[in-house]
Amino acid sequence: MNRVGLALKWFLFVWMVVVIWAAFMWIPSAEGFKGESSRIVFFHVPTAWVATLAFLVSCIASGMYLWRREPKYDFGAAVSAGLGLLYAVLATVTGAIFAKIMWGAYWNWDPRQTSITILLLIYAAYFALRSAVADPEKRATLSAVYSILAFVTVPFLMFIVPRIYFSLHPDVMTNADPDNSLDSAHLIVLLASLAGFTGLSVWLYSVGTRIEKIRHRRRQEVL
Amino acid sequence: MSDLTGIMAVTMIIWIGLFAYVYRLDRKVSRLED
Amino acid sequence: MSRWLAEALAVAAKDLRAEFRTRVALNSLALFALTTLAAVSYTIGPYRLAAEDRPFLLSVLLWIVIFFAALAGLDRSFVKEEESHTAPLLRLAAAPTVVWAGKLLYNLVLIFVLMAMLAPLFCVLMGFEIAMPWRFVMVLAVGGYGLAVITTIVAAIIAQAMTRGALFSVLSLPLLLPLLIIVIEGTRAVAMGDLASFSESLRAMITMAGAMTIVSAFLFPIVWRD
Repeated sequence: MNRVGLALKWFLFVWMVVVIWAAFMWIPSAEGFKGESSRIVFFHVPTAWVATLAFLVSCIASGMYLWRREPKYDFGAAVSAGLGLLYAVLATVTGAIFAKIMWGAYWNWDPRQTSITILLLIYAAYFALRSAVADPEKRATLSAVYSILAFVTVPFLMFIVPRIYFSLHPDVMTNADPDNSLDSAHLIVLLASLAGFTGLSVWLYSVGTRIEKIRHRRRQEVL
Repeated sequence: MSDLTGIMAVTMIIWIGLFAYVYRLDRKVSRLED
Repeated sequence: MSRWLAEALAVAAKDLRAEFRTRVALNSLALFALTTLAAVSYTIGPYRLAAEDRPFLLSVLLWIVIFFAALAGLDRSFVKEEESHTAPLLRLAAAPTVVWAGKLLYNLVLIFVLMAMLAPLFCVLMGFEIAMPWRFVMVLAVGGYGLAVITTIVAAIIAQAMTRGALFSVLSLPLLLPLLIIVIEGTRAVAMGDLASFSESLRAMITMAGAMTIVSAFLFPIVWRD
């Protein structure tokens, strides 16, 4: 592990420690949120954002694979989709905790929870597809195609479906977008958390793709 | 307020554990690469 | 342009002719839809649901039946080519986008036939009153098209994956869920005469169907060429 990488990783560690401390200790309780639930936002929003970013990276890597046919793009697509799935699960869990504190129920199928659930299903299906195809090139091609199709639904899930969903379920409660009502202190911590989570996922992505490269190399050596 | 410190402590522990795990994984992968 | 269209229609016609001879897919579609409709009608009937819940719940039930019938009937549109070994011939005979358009047309016809049979029956059996019937037809048409587009490209993917069973549904259904929400809302809106919500839903439906059409048209040749 080189010097710069090492320094960056330890910087990330300290950064997130500070973010966690700030989210709990430095920030006062927010109005309009029950109890201390506003603090969850500092972890919930970044995980949702990074999940979307990861799915976008998967889509782009898939496109690159279909264009260049280099295995490294397939690794990137798969690893990124997996990261996105992981972050989406985290976003769902933190969202459910938030919902429990605010409205007394972990799950009430509000537009956001519904959208993230659909996203989970879509990308879980991505891995179902991958596991169903034995030939590596075919697997890479087919999952690349699916990854691109999957990402087409993301803007709809993020923007259009919640609005339509509201007409369907006008009684469902949902919090006003927390970004709007944040003062500068909240904003700083939120952005810092976002940067930290993004840095973490870049690191995870790099480790994941290196693992795939090694696996691939091992397979080539056997042949 | 001790509830809050409790939750913060748990979050810290989760972060430290996660970091340690990924760090070890990273080191192992680096060794395999060389 | 017209040569391309003629070829696509030829592909669709071939499939439809074959289909009407054996009626495999149609039977799956029809049987599934009718059985589910019978189950729903039998258990819930036209009287059980409270008046204010009817537009919403009946919209949900209708589209769930349509979607699941489509998943039951449309999975084999490409697999049958691979199984009967006519796929290589098709690859030689027509350009990839022609094949895609032909298969899409075929799936579209099947879905519209299903809807023509199912929708009136559903409305009668469940006592589904629709305030804006012509707009209801529009929702069915656009929703059905969206359904066809997504199931066509997924069918092409799984035909290459060489697996049976649930993979088609596993891949299609999550991709269809956003569309499902939109068409259900559109149907509820036309049942209640809510023009504003109908317009918004229709716009969303058309946008999604359009996006999926363009992306599928680009991606299909890649799947097909393998």
